[in-house]
Amino acid sequence: MNPQTTLAIVGVGNTDYRRMHHLGLDALAVEAGRRAIADSGLAAPQIDGIILAGTMPPADEIAFACGMKNRAYTCHNAYTPGAGPVAALVEAQLAIRAGLASAVLVVYGVKTSKPGGPYAFHAADPLKADLEMPVGYYGQPLYFGCLAQRYRHEYGLADEQLGALAVAQRAWAARTPGSQKAEPITLDDYLAAPYVAEPLRNLDCCLISDGAGAYVVTTLERARDLPRTPAVVRGVAAGSNPWTLTEMFTQSPRFLDIGPGKVGERAMQQAGVSHGDVDVVQIYDCFTLSIILQLESLGFCAPGEGAALVGDGRTGPGGSLPVNTDGGHLCHAYIPGMTHVLEGVRQLRGERGDAQVADVKVSLVSTFAGPDHATLVLTHDNG
Amino acid sequence: MTDTAPYLPDFAPRFDTDLVRPYWDALARGHMVLPACSVCGAWQWYPYEFIKCHADAHQDWKPVPATGTLFTYTVVHRSFLPNAPRDTEPYVSALVELDGIPGVRIPTFLVNLEGRTPAIGMRVRLSPLPRSSYTAPAFEPVGQESRP
Repeated sequence: MNPQTTLAIVGVGNTDYRRMHHLGLDALAVEAGRRAIADSGLAAPQIDGIILAGTMPPADEIAFACGMKNRAYTCHNAYTPGAGPVAALVEAQLAIRAGLASAVLVVYGVKTSKPGGPYAFHAADPLKADLEMPVGYYGQPLYFGCLAQRYRHEYGLADEQLGALAVAQRAWAARTPGSQKAEPITLDDYLAAPYVAEPLRNLDCCLISDGAGAYVVTTLERARDLPRTPAVVRGVAAGSNPWTLTEMFTQSPRFLDIGPGKVGERAMQQAGVSHGDVDVVQIYDCFTLSIILQLESLGFCAPGEGAALVGDGRTGPGGSLPVNTDGGHLCHAYIPGMTHVLEGVRQLRGERGDAQVADVKVSLVSTFAGPDHATLVLTHDNG
Repeated sequence: MTDTAPYLPDFAPRFDTDLVRPYWDALARGHMVLPACSVCGAWQWYPYEFIKCHADAHQDWKPVPATGTLFTYTVVHRSFLPNAPRDTEPYVSALVELDGIPGVRIPTFLVNLEGRTPAIGMRVRLSPLPRSSYTAPAFEPVGQESRP
């Protein structure tokens, strides 16, 4: 591991998360950015690059308000929301290794509680408006309900297996200050919850959130002089499946393939880790079902075995495969892909209090939206 | 599973482009047409302003079979359509694969279940459903058999 070309995340920060936040997205981004910078121990003028990990207010405004007086590198990554906050590390690597920047702030936030909610994103698609909405094929819960029915048909899927994930993540959220849904639930609560799109209930669906998160990344060499335990970027990869977001929930030739596939493989190969080495996993959880499909695609089990894998509750506190240890997008906050990175770093640092997984050495993060995927492996500085 | 669905979405196509007009015009006349490449005949679903296989081709709308199999479905208990009432009776939204056109899936209502639970692989046939200002694709079960 060359400390001059290997990166480490040295600072993380976030706003509070809630519906109908009084701050605008620009102010939320600035607040998260300032906190990440303060956490890093670097002075703002030492951070000379910024990456917006999705559609955001202008970079110059955010960087200026964060005190970044020496901005040399500015990037706006074009991955679908969700993949961006992890994929931003690919751009950060390129920029830092090329000498374009020495330390980079990555920032992303959303206000999904705006009118129309997260559904409006799809309503803006002319083909969805003209072919799907007229038959009520609309809204992400329906897309994933249709995926779940197909999964059930091909492999079998019990309500209790989905419920195990919902219960596990609520237990993590209950141990995590600031979670939007922190009241513990039982499997009976889950089974009594109303359906949204069968077999998915409201407790299978992610939150509606306003908020932002940010992190600071620099070389490992520099990270060694900073106050926080470096979260070393040992493997990171991004890539895309060969279909569009417009078609993937109806026409995809691999209908159940919403996982990172070779992207995950690449990140783990770079890091030189196998599944047994992974201590804690953060996976994009727009719905419970998404976790099952991505665990399969990441190779934690064979296709069709994911539901059984998670069905015994092993993803929860004390379990053998801790997943989404802040409560994830289901229960903590829905800042697509960003909260997963922050939690992956915090677990590795060992600063998660009641939700800390013992002795974390390898922290895996995998996120996606539409056809775009990104996977990250974080480890300690092993010299 | 609730099989009586007094609520069914009524949300007219927006026609941002004319690309999909032949599809809706045909449904209004009670049958289905789909676009194909004018050069090689490959189906082009969804329709785009460009043809994927041949740059200089155009969309050729052709009649398709009115029968197929249920690929997947969900019983929707809460509709997020902008004009949906907050509380609705469940309805069934589905994807159907038409006979002889593998890989092409039609987003559709699933109707006239008459107590039957939808089963993926079940045989279905087109039964266009008039809405207030358009005729929607809808499929209904055929016979009793279903196949995986």
